[in-house]
Amino acid sequence: MAGRGRGARSFSVDSVGISRDSLPVTVQQPTPEFPVMEQKPLPLTGGEEVEYLLALKQDLRAAMKSLPCFIQPVQVHKDVERYSDKYHLNEHSKSLKDWTLDWKRFPKELRLHVRRPHSKGAVLSSVQSGQKKEQEQEQEEGRQKEQVLLNLETLEKKEEQESSEEEGEQEKKQEKEEQEPEEEYDEEEFEEETDYSMPYFDNGEDFGGDSDDNMDEAIY
Amino acid sequence: MTAQEIRLCGLLLREHFGEVVEKVGKHLLRGGAQNLRCVGHEAGLSLDLVKKTLCVLVQHGACSFASGRKGPGSPTEYWACCDRILRILRYPRYIYTTKTLYGDTGELLIEELLQRGHMTMSSLVKTVADRLTQNMEDGRSVDYSEVSSIFSKLVETHFLQRCPPPPAAAAAADSGAQAAAPAAPGAPTAPSGAAAPSAESFADCYRVPHVTLVGRGKRQHAAEDGEEPRSAKRPRMDSQVHGDEGIYWQVNFERFHQHFRDQAIISAVANKLDQTSSEIVRTILRMSEVTTSASAACTKPLSANEIFRSLSASYNISRPILDQYLTLLVDDPMEFVGKAGESGGGMYIVNLHRALANLARATLESIVQERRFRGLRITWGFCLREERLAQTQRVAARAFIEPMRCLPRPGDVHVGLQDQFFKSMSPDELRKFETNIFYRLTFFLLQEIPKTPDFAPSRTFYLYTVNQLPTARMLLQNCYKTVANLIERRLFESRESKRLLEKSQRIEAILASLQASGAEPEQLTEVEEMITASEKQQLDVLRLHVNKLDSAENQVDETIFLLQSYINSTAVAPT
Repeated sequence: MAGRGRGARSFSVDSVGISRDSLPVTVQQPTPEFPVMEQKPLPLTGGEEVEYLLALKQDLRAAMKSLPCFIQPVQVHKDVERYSDKYHLNEHSKSLKDWTLDWKRFPKELRLHVRRPHSKGAVLSSVQSGQKKEQEQEQEEGRQKEQVLLNLETLEKKEEQESSEEEGEQEKKQEKEEQEPEEEYDEEEFEEETDYSMPYFDNGEDFGGDSDDNMDEAIY
Repeated sequence: MTAQEIRLCGLLLREHFGEVVEKVGKHLLRGGAQNLRCVGHEAGLSLDLVKKTLCVLVQHGACSFASGRKGPGSPTEYWACCDRILRILRYPRYIYTTKTLYGDTGELLIEELLQRGHMTMSSLVKTVADRLTQNMEDGRSVDYSEVSSIFSKLVETHFLQRCPPPPAAAAAADSGAQAAAPAAPGAPTAPSGAAAPSAESFADCYRVPHVTLVGRGKRQHAAEDGEEPRSAKRPRMDSQVHGDEGIYWQVNFERFHQHFRDQAIISAVANKLDQTSSEIVRTILRMSEVTTSASAACTKPLSANEIFRSLSASYNISRPILDQYLTLLVDDPMEFVGKAGESGGGMYIVNLHRALANLARATLESIVQERRFRGLRITWGFCLREERLAQTQRVAARAFIEPMRCLPRPGDVHVGLQDQFFKSMSPDELRKFETNIFYRLTFFLLQEIPKTPDFAPSRTFYLYTVNQLPTARMLLQNCYKTVANLIERRLFESRESKRLLEKSQRIEAILASLQASGAEPEQLTEVEEMITASEKQQLDVLRLHVNKLDSAENQVDETIFLLQSYINSTAVAPT
């Protein structure tokens, strides 16, 4: 037998009657990652139709990203809990609110109740076409809270101001509760009881990560 | 659900619905029917998030639910449908087809419906009218009735259909008339409990409801200072009732697939014969559009008289010439058209399944040709032909051997027809040929026919045969793998140049805002120069790559469609 070990075969070349050339090639090392192709593949077909399909595809992808169906990934908690998280969290949850589904077509257990935080007494009710009781309850709560605020305000401000404010709020609130509640979402007047606008809560963690290539200026 | 299919589904879900949906979707695909808690536990996400995800999936038809198997009290079970998710790949094609048939309005209708899954007619019409109005010049708007008429046309030609009622309602409503879901390709394997009825079993599937919809499209105005408080609110949701509450519409994918199949057959005939024959085939197919079911093997027989009457006048084909063409088509070895009788000047049918098989075979041949050694291609084509002949003539394999030319092993006495072919190959080529076969035996089946009882290699015939169906299945999985790889590569490229992309986006946004507020050209050029020339070049190269990969996905999907149709047609073949 010619050779033990890697070259060993269970038969000898002569007795079987085949020439040495016809045996398969022995493999000495792993095959290359990107083997050389003998024939290059044909180029893609071009043309107007293909271009239009391409544009459609890219538009569709971009459009779907902005739909409420696109569920944002869960934010990973960074090292420390920060004060500004409270104000950043609400930005993403708004997408559910403008997504009206016909809940009759879905099993009961999938129904979602969303309650948004209180905002100056005007409570926005849940997404599910709520039962009347729930709405009434919230109206009452809202009114109560407003009462408290009112009392506080009389101590500080003049009566005319507060009455006009109250009227305005009442109207706004009633208007909101008559129709399906919409969101007064403006970045500048946030729903929470803060006096500061959103850029105030910017962490500053995003700063300085942009211009990484110009290392001539030292960054302190 | 093979591993490749699941991987591709995951990527598609990630691109269109986000990573959360991808995670949940993959769990559902792998695990079969599961209830809510099970899914939530496996995916490791909060229950709220899982509920939202399931809503999204059900809304788009990718997931179905039914009451549990253990009886009426058990929790609802959900299962995902792989085929439905894979169709996302074909969305641009659906939209483009509707554009060619029904213009921009039709295109937008289908696009909106695909993006949202199910919609009522009124909301769909309003959204599309608004979109059309926005693209028009100031002062003009689109009336709802125009859009409604296109909608009705789409329903008449069965491109849109009503959604079937959800399982709970159906079970309660009509216990007697519950039709079993037909074995349509792509139907999920439903548990034995209350199965979700398919759309076709619903009697009013294609009936347009009477909807009172009066008005014109609204244009969304840009927020001006005076209207600040109003535009800060989201546009008021219309609480008007239009008379079609609870009736939801979805895209009828099977109808689109029929259309694509017809187009493929017509273009094949045009390539093989000539334009006029393809027109005749197109007429036959158009006449059988709504009368033939999706899984029929052939169209209903049509008499030559009827065909003659329906031919469009622009072709000026006289009756005897039509007969000649029909005879030509029938005699063609591709067997696209068959003759089914003599009444009415000859009854003709289009053999749909055979046409699909031929198209698939042509696809397989071209794939092999492009990817493999040239010797394999010739042998391959030869084997396929012989295989088909053997099948049609139902000849026993044994009796077929002698007339069939066997491929001898090199070094042997060369026998038969392949003489010239083998003589033309050098020993090197021959060896490569053997290696290709033996190391990639996936395409070929080997059968040994001994001349002598002792199976000596030098004295046996080695028969190589090709079985078309398993090969098509294998190639289909390859195609799925290809598309998944393309998507991954595209995501990788975007990730690598994320910084650059973000920078360019920001600069574009600055430019746009500057232009809107009327800045001078020097300011604009100054902003433009913030991107250096080399970065611009990088961006161009990136864009080119991404476009190429995207375009490749679209084109692989055409192959996927052909192979899928072929495999599905054989699955439904009568036994």
